[in-house]
Amino acid sequence: MRIIVHNAKCQGHARCWAQAPDIFKLDDDGYILPGDIQVAEGEQLLASQGARSCPERALEVDRTSAARFEPAAMQPRTGEA
Amino acid sequence: MAINPVPDHVPPEMVRDFSLFTSPGMPPTPNGDPHAAVACAHDGPPIFYSPYNTQDGRGTWVITRAADQRKVLQDAETFSSHRSIFSSILGETWPTIPLELDPPAHGAFRSLLSPLLSPKRVTALEPAVRERAIALIDRITASATSCDVMKDFAFPFTVSIFLRFLGLPDQGLDTFVGWAKDLLHGDDVERPVAARKIVAFIDELATNRRKDPVDDLMTFIVQAQIEGRRLTDGEIRGIGVLVFVAGLDTVAAAIGFDLAYLARNLKDQELLRSEPDRILLATEELLRAYPPIQLIRVATKDIDFEGAPIRKGDYVSCATMIANRDPEEFESPNTVDLAREHNRHAAFGYGPHRCLGSHLARREIVIGLEEWLARIPTFRIKEGTAPITCGGHVFGIENLILDWS
Repeated sequence: MRIIVHNAKCQGHARCWAQAPDIFKLDDDGYILPGDIQVAEGEQLLASQGARSCPERALEVDRTSAARFEPAAMQPRTGEA
Repeated sequence: MAINPVPDHVPPEMVRDFSLFTSPGMPPTPNGDPHAAVACAHDGPPIFYSPYNTQDGRGTWVITRAADQRKVLQDAETFSSHRSIFSSILGETWPTIPLELDPPAHGAFRSLLSPLLSPKRVTALEPAVRERAIALIDRITASATSCDVMKDFAFPFTVSIFLRFLGLPDQGLDTFVGWAKDLLHGDDVERPVAARKIVAFIDELATNRRKDPVDDLMTFIVQAQIEGRRLTDGEIRGIGVLVFVAGLDTVAAAIGFDLAYLARNLKDQELLRSEPDRILLATEELLRAYPPIQLIRVATKDIDFEGAPIRKGDYVSCATMIANRDPEEFESPNTVDLAREHNRHAAFGYGPHRCLGSHLARREIVIGLEEWLARIPTFRIKEGTAPITCGGHVFGIENLILDWS
């Protein structure tokens, strides 16, 4: 699973971070860091809850199979990172 | 107070007799519930025109659906927030900053201030906030089994946190609360007098901090640079006034409405007292049910928005308390469900002007409720008293006398 981050829509509510601070990382202003988020196995529920908490609809859950092995999305930004 | 006639471009069938200032439940009302009263906006069309919907008696479009409010508030280019809400009281037109600046000018000021109120920074402030709440509540319980929550807790708590943030001593507290009250709920004479006092105070503070810098917000502002230059006197005033006004009344009102709800709903009160872990989630539901703010934007161009012929210069009202009762957004919107999940309420607005102080406001409410419930046994509205609520630009509550004898 992958979370697609629409940075232009993020307004710093930080509700995703409040749900899952290890998955959704913020900059010093409190806005989400750029780049889609590859979600580790076992953190999918927490990640999708975090995405669903965004008042601006800036986070999109991508459950397509491509999301699992698209190399560009494999950034070290999962919960373990 | 003049009431503007309905403009010609507004179809008569879109005009509704509705106002956040004059509708039933909006003027000061004993035992009122102004948030429930405005939920009736959803009985009609999703967008309508209210001929009297600002403090100075102007008409506005009223956007009732949360999804439509999101569209308006996310589109700052079409729906500007520069309407000189404060300076117009003085017959002037300067913006409060960053609220009344539009992108791109808005961005530089927002970036300057965001780190000061970021989630991380607010986490660091938490011990001081909690200490203040405990001190106030201990003082109350030491000598009484009843108190006026607004006077004895909500205002001293929120205003002193915010004075500390500004770098001001607590002694000014009563004076500042008085100014805020006159500004937000006063009559046509009181409001400009209060506005003038606030401006004079901010200007003097800026002058003093320029001369003798200390470690506080105003010193930060007078020393700050944006785009390689110092801020102008007008910009410093615009920031100072906004921070001052925004921090004074809103969180206190929210805490007041929340404690009034819990005083009347003992089962929920007991649930949060016995299981304090629920307070975090419950606070989101209380923010949804009892937000204090109406947001207003000005159309920068003609636009047909979801069937409404909005014309350049029209005011567009996004009342958070109306969006938060939208049945298309929230299941059973008029029921307070303290365990409600996925609660994407509009209390702090949407778009680039999302409340800059939202993280601090949330922490203050959570901590206020945690410490109040931990230290005060079962409380009710004191027999023979009636809290007075009012609608308007900022919803408020006073005379909230709680009793736990």
